[in-house]
Amino acid sequence: MVKDSSSGLSSALSGGADTIVARATAAGACALAVIRVSGPETGRLARVLCPKIDMETPWRAAVVRLCDRSGGFLETAVAIPYRAPKSYTGEDMLELMVHGSPWIVDAVVGTMISAGARHANPGEFTRRAVANGKMDLVQAEAVNEVVHAETAWQARLAREQLHGALSREFGALKEELIVFLAEIEGSLDFEEQGAVVNQEVLRKAHEGCVSRIDALLDTTAVGVRVREGARVVIVGPPNSGKSTLFNALLARERAIVTAAPGTTRDVLEADLEIEGLPVILVDTAGLREAADLAEAEGIRRAEQEEARADVILALHAADEGGAPQSQEVGDRRLDIVSKVDLANQRMDGILAISCVTGEGLDRLREEIHRRVSEPMMSITAGVAVNARHANALVRAREYLEGVLLVPREVAALEIRSGMMVLDEVLGEVDDEDVLEAVFSAFCVGK
Amino acid sequence: MSSRPSSRLFVLVNEGVAVRKWDVVVVGAGHAGIEAAMVTARMGATVCIVTLSRDTIGQMPCNPAAGGIGKGHLIIELDALGGIQGWAADRSGIQFRRLNASRGPAVWGPRAQCDKERYSQLMRRLVARARNMTVIEGEAREIVIEKGRASGVRLASGEVIRGACVILTTGTFLGGVIHTGDDRQEGGRFGERPSVGLGKSLRGLGLELRRFKTGTPPRLHRRSIDYSKLETQEGDDNPRPFSWRTRSVVNRAVCWVGRTPEMIRDIIKENLDRSPLFSGRIDGVGPRYCPSIEDKIVRFPHHKEHTVFLEPETLNGPSMYVNGLSTSLPADIQELVVRAVPGFEEARFLRYGYAVEYDVVAPKQVGHDLQVSTVPGLYLAGQIMGTSGYEEAAALGFIAGTNAAASLLGAEGLRLGREQAYIGVLVDDLVNREHREPYRIFTSRAEHRLLLGVDSATERLMAEGVRLGLVPTGVFHVEQEKWERRRRVGLLLESSALSPNRLTREQFRASLGVELRNPTTWAGILRRQDIDDRQAAALAPGLGALSPEDRAIVVGQLRYSGYVERHSRERSRIERLRHIPIPGDFSYQAIIGLSREVLEEMERVRPKTLAEAERLAGITPAAMALIAGRLSAARRE
Repeated sequence: MVKDSSSGLSSALSGGADTIVARATAAGACALAVIRVSGPETGRLARVLCPKIDMETPWRAAVVRLCDRSGGFLETAVAIPYRAPKSYTGEDMLELMVHGSPWIVDAVVGTMISAGARHANPGEFTRRAVANGKMDLVQAEAVNEVVHAETAWQARLAREQLHGALSREFGALKEELIVFLAEIEGSLDFEEQGAVVNQEVLRKAHEGCVSRIDALLDTTAVGVRVREGARVVIVGPPNSGKSTLFNALLARERAIVTAAPGTTRDVLEADLEIEGLPVILVDTAGLREAADLAEAEGIRRAEQEEARADVILALHAADEGGAPQSQEVGDRRLDIVSKVDLANQRMDGILAISCVTGEGLDRLREEIHRRVSEPMMSITAGVAVNARHANALVRAREYLEGVLLVPREVAALEIRSGMMVLDEVLGEVDDEDVLEAVFSAFCVGK
Repeated sequence: MSSRPSSRLFVLVNEGVAVRKWDVVVVGAGHAGIEAAMVTARMGATVCIVTLSRDTIGQMPCNPAAGGIGKGHLIIELDALGGIQGWAADRSGIQFRRLNASRGPAVWGPRAQCDKERYSQLMRRLVARARNMTVIEGEAREIVIEKGRASGVRLASGEVIRGACVILTTGTFLGGVIHTGDDRQEGGRFGERPSVGLGKSLRGLGLELRRFKTGTPPRLHRRSIDYSKLETQEGDDNPRPFSWRTRSVVNRAVCWVGRTPEMIRDIIKENLDRSPLFSGRIDGVGPRYCPSIEDKIVRFPHHKEHTVFLEPETLNGPSMYVNGLSTSLPADIQELVVRAVPGFEEARFLRYGYAVEYDVVAPKQVGHDLQVSTVPGLYLAGQIMGTSGYEEAAALGFIAGTNAAASLLGAEGLRLGREQAYIGVLVDDLVNREHREPYRIFTSRAEHRLLLGVDSATERLMAEGVRLGLVPTGVFHVEQEKWERRRRVGLLLESSALSPNRLTREQFRASLGVELRNPTTWAGILRRQDIDDRQAAALAPGLGALSPEDRAIVVGQLRYSGYVERHSRERSRIERLRHIPIPGDFSYQAIIGLSREVLEEMERVRPKTLAEAERLAGITPAAMALIAGRLSAARRE
């Protein structure tokens, strides 16, 4: 939810903040580096570094000559000035593109600092953007996620969140809570004037709010899948080829593979990307009567992994009969017959693979992709909450739980508490919002 | 000119202009002015009331009623502190009702229909008989400033009324303009001249004024109504007074309820261009909660009918107030609209409705003691602060008067917290927030609503009234005994266990109609919404000995208790946090989520504790939570 940017303007005009500078690109030598300056003094500092710069033509790139304070030539750069409030931080800003030499970058930043700028703290540009109402907390969280996105899905989710998709969902929830509260407040303060609200109206409003919260909470698992990767766990009896498959999918010899059953004792994890989807591939110990304590612990961990898996790859070696006795039906578990190069017979409807010949591996990747991505496709508007959001939603839901059973003045208190929790996620609520809703919903006289 | 010489009256002659001196000068004698003057005088300071006319003291220019939901809370609180409005409403009341009576005690709203002439008469007599008090007729034109302090007012006659403090309670008179259709007249109330020069003087002191608007409906002749087409609205079976000073009250009158027909929509729409509200003649901002009938038609076009309440203005006089038909349409259209209402076909107009525009001081320039921050000694109360309503005015008048008197007498002033009283909420909202319309109290404005019921007003506030010398100790002890008795019964119910044996189960089934399955306490049973406290009174320990009023309060409080406790835990957590010092070099920049306004205010003021931070302008609970969180994180590091 991008708020009115007037607060950014006023802060820029009031000149309360100091001016900060920092390099925006990664450290080390590279072709280009970007240096950012933000704050009320940006114009003056820019002219110290580059007397001829035209700050009066904002949002337009220009080639400029940069000099140090004694007038010595530093570098030729591309400069883009921004004028408040239409900038990332909502303040006056300058972006300079220079050659990515650490010396040049240090010299430019150093000149700025000697002229009165301050080196920015980590995240300070975004913090200022929040303070100036350019974005809310949820959007600010996404900035970092966009920067660090490693897969297409992570990038997509973070981008949507940055552009306000998740903020809009929270905003819509807040809106619905305000309307719900307004109905109750109306009946408490204005029943005399005809603002009679029956229980059925409240029940519907309550249901609307709760189902909105639940819909958002339902995206938690997907959020974890996208942000951290779906957990794809390989299980099966000893010597069914789990570690071989693990290595084959990773395309490197990550796990030790021997002919002896029970070679893998601990749980092994590795990151993998399947067509833009982040996956955490997990290899486990074979399930059997443990030979010693270490193996027993390995088997216990394997069972744990199986329980929290998003997708289970259950292997059955073809030379051991290859007959799966599936205990669990559904999309989570995928039964696979391995080592089909050692057996002649095929079983209909069961995926058969061979890590020796590579047979079936492409189909396996497709199957994993389908199972991991399906729930993602179902999420609305490309949003998924993170742990902080989910925690707030659960707390808000607790407040809403019993509100239909308690006196309305108590219910109002509970809904307000729920709204406060959501405010911590997003921003702030003004009680005038509630009153506004009361007055647009009721026609009240004195 | 003065009604009675004061004991501390100085008469000096300065170049032929009389100069007289009092401790406090109160400009205006409406609800705010009277309450301010009375409390000041009773605290022992000398007071001079400056009013345009002695005859218009204590008027009810709009609704002939006091109280309601929220407003009733203000009267009861004011009464617990020793104010007088509740007493006057009781003595002049002709019908008493408790609104929201079927809900819990936190939202009960006592309301009285008053005989407005009797009310005004009571107030005039009270003022005339008060010790330390003088009334002067005249128009205050200018605030006299000496050594940077307000030190009196100059009247239109040139006379200077000197006082160490000045309290302005000008109501709707400051630059007042009255509109009825195209007719526009200067005036503060119908037939009364406005106060014109004072606004200039306030602007000269650097104060920002803004324009507000309010309105009033027509008055009809009692004998021109066909009552057979209206419903009656009776008072409560057991009418209750506002004040601890009043033993009992009786209902002497009924009100009437009617409905507007659909056709008034067309009448109003066709003539909207003749309403000053829509023709652009009125720039002032009116209240959303008290819309004129033309406002209602425009804003709620889908409503087929609007409720109208017909209320007697006096017990026996002819004038009837048409609540719900506030309007500033021209007189001929008012007649069309009103006579369209079933029952009003033959209505005779005693007065047409009108809108009034007036100046208010943007209240952010005023501190919690209601003193103008840039002009020491100058206090504001009532509509000049941008409020609406007799009750809001009286409460503010009381606070301004108490603080002015206390500052002169070296006593501690009166500042009520938001968790302590609706009066605290009122003052805090006014001085801390921007308001685009006249401010009225609602219970939804109080975040501590469950704690602020009318049932707990004496418990919350009467000790302050005793401290200020306004409430006799004996009265306090009587009230104290009441709340302590209720508390004892509450504790008894909490501790009386019930086991689901055969006898008890049968008893419960027979007398309360509920099934007792698990062991519980009487408190646990009474918390259930489906239990009727009247039926339970015969069985539950202690409950039967209480009055129906106290019983409802005890049961209501039981039903709140879990929530109130959680709420108080939250409060005491904040209370503890308040005393946490904020280091001088604390970095607000490091807190994500603070708005720039809050951040700049914090860095400008650099509060020493969270309590101080909380008092700053524009600080929201969310901002407090963020700062508190950062602070405790910093302390752990």
